[in-house]
Amino acid sequence: MIDLAALKKEAKQLLKDEKVTYLLGYRQGSNGHRAVPAFIREPEEVEQLTWDPTCTYNLTRYLIDEVRERNSSEEREDRPVGILVKGCDNRAINVLLQEKYLRKEDVHVIGISCEHAGMVDEKKLARELKNQPVMEIEFGEGDRFVVTTEEGKTTISAEKILADRCLECKASYPAGAEVIFGDKVKREFTRPYKGLQEIETLPAGERWAFWKAQFEKCIRCYACRSVCTMCYCDECVVDSIELAVTADTTAEEKARKVRWAERSPVTSENFTFHLTRAMHMAGRCVDCGECERACPVDIPLRLLYAKLARTADKMFDYEAGSDPDQPPLTSSFTMDDPGDFIR
Amino acid sequence: MEKILTKQALPRWIEQLDAYQIYAPVREQEGWKYAIVDTPDSVTLDYPNTVLSLKSILFPQREVFLEFHSQNGRDLEVEELLPGDAQSVIFGVRPCDAKAISLMDKVFGGDYIDNYYWKRRNQTRLIGLACNEPVSPDCFCNAVDGAPYSTEGLDILMTDLGDRYFLESVTEKGEELLAVEDDLFQEAGKKDQKAVKDLRSGAEKKFERKIPELQNMPEILANLFDSDFWEQESMSCIRCGICTYLCPSCHCFDINDEVETAAPLKGVRVRTWDTCQFPDFTMHSSGHNPRSDRAARLRQRVSHKYRYFPEQYDAFLCTGCGRCIDKCPVGIDIVEVLNKAVDYEG
Repeated sequence: MIDLAALKKEAKQLLKDEKVTYLLGYRQGSNGHRAVPAFIREPEEVEQLTWDPTCTYNLTRYLIDEVRERNSSEEREDRPVGILVKGCDNRAINVLLQEKYLRKEDVHVIGISCEHAGMVDEKKLARELKNQPVMEIEFGEGDRFVVTTEEGKTTISAEKILADRCLECKASYPAGAEVIFGDKVKREFTRPYKGLQEIETLPAGERWAFWKAQFEKCIRCYACRSVCTMCYCDECVVDSIELAVTADTTAEEKARKVRWAERSPVTSENFTFHLTRAMHMAGRCVDCGECERACPVDIPLRLLYAKLARTADKMFDYEAGSDPDQPPLTSSFTMDDPGDFIR
Repeated sequence: MEKILTKQALPRWIEQLDAYQIYAPVREQEGWKYAIVDTPDSVTLDYPNTVLSLKSILFPQREVFLEFHSQNGRDLEVEELLPGDAQSVIFGVRPCDAKAISLMDKVFGGDYIDNYYWKRRNQTRLIGLACNEPVSPDCFCNAVDGAPYSTEGLDILMTDLGDRYFLESVTEKGEELLAVEDDLFQEAGKKDQKAVKDLRSGAEKKFERKIPELQNMPEILANLFDSDFWEQESMSCIRCGICTYLCPSCHCFDINDEVETAAPLKGVRVRTWDTCQFPDFTMHSSGHNPRSDRAARLRQRVSHKYRYFPEQYDAFLCTGCGRCIDKCPVGIDIVEVLNKAVDYEG
């Protein structure tokens, strides 16, 4: 079990000693039982900190905002930001380090192990409880969750309500983190790429029909992109914010600006967006699963990136974010590359 | 006009409405959506609310305005494409979504009459479904001048009385829909009216979310315009479009020419939803963006709903459906933001 008091003590000390500018963590939200991201600046605010199975958020997303701010400010802050990370979140930090987007000295990592369990899938939870409102959900013994409703407390096993990403997770604790709260547990029920294996049994025609139906639902709210730590491009392919480079940019130049995907949420444009994003996830997606959780229309986005992750794994023995000192997959080259076209 | 319809007779009523295209909530994976129904038996009104609001039908995310083409690159032919002529009936509309449409009526029927919107609107009849209890813990219609049984924007309101529905028509269009085969409906009696009244007063009490200073919001928000309140409240905002796209009353749009082929020139002019939460929403062609950060964008969303719209139209541009709260990927809660604004000293 995570010792929340010890975690708070550590956090408080960091803020007191001014070792970090602020701390990214979780607090109880105003919306029912769910936690929300917390930005803790003062030692006395540390009491807000919480750790429960609804701390799904990959807080490393906020490091992107922080890096942008630091890069654009005249006096660069030299103290790091403190951040709580789960196993998956920690891999995201590693990718940012590998890609030299983030400097090691800008972040103070506090690891938390998901131990035997992980994060709940709110939809599975609602189904399991037949839509009864949840008042509280806590980690119980082993892989069990303790859920409080109006009728009292019930215990539910992780396999029933755990998010798919956690059921497929290969490392439930932040392997390289300097400080880790909780035990490093090797979970029994983990089935990497289970969802992918299921869809791959379908013939190509059915897979095409499946994805077509999925992408037709997309409303292009870009929550998948916005919630993703890996989507840190200053200008996304789907919105042209750099339309005018200078005040002298001519109308001609603006008109000639390529629009890779039209605004219309039609199947072809939705494919363009999602497949472009997927390609940019190759060797980078750490399967934190935030895109899929955020999607308001239930598109199983993880399947796309899992396909690329497994390909990287099989062909190059590469796992995104497992080693911060390894060169990134798509910008490294070795003589024993399996593709003969490149040698 | 008040009528009683047994639940068993619902499919028969829908069959009678064969002159219309019928929409009803249907299940899709974990959520619900409005879809055209072919089999009256499949309509079930036992559902919370749709993921995408009613606006997705009346103000679709993509509307083709016109088609243009030119054979020689000089002479341009343009053809206006108005929505089709199909008359529709939409079942299962929650009062919050219907009220949002009545707010949109003000926008698209103001100084400029939007023909695309009104063609659909005038061809559609809305049959509401009262909420006997909040359909989600995030519901707050009665905190924003609404009610779980409001008829605003509707033609008929249905109330679930267990084995039967209490039907109340509030427009001429609604009366017409009830003017079918004699034995389909029964007259509503005193007992039914009492049952409805009890349900309504019971429902009102079940909503937990409140905005005590609602009527003072325009002033409160005006005073906070330059405050760092917005930076604090928007820290966790990731600037996606969920809150606004799922909102039943947000109606901002973009218009683009989408060119299919350049030579010979062929393409369409389309209107699509747009949102104040995206970086290019207020991007000027000079490169300047007056709302370049998350604080300015959250302030815009909240202020449009609780300050600018009331100042212009004397109504709040929020009907308390709770979608933006429920679906926000980072738990931003507009009710919490508003209530915090009241006491903010900074």
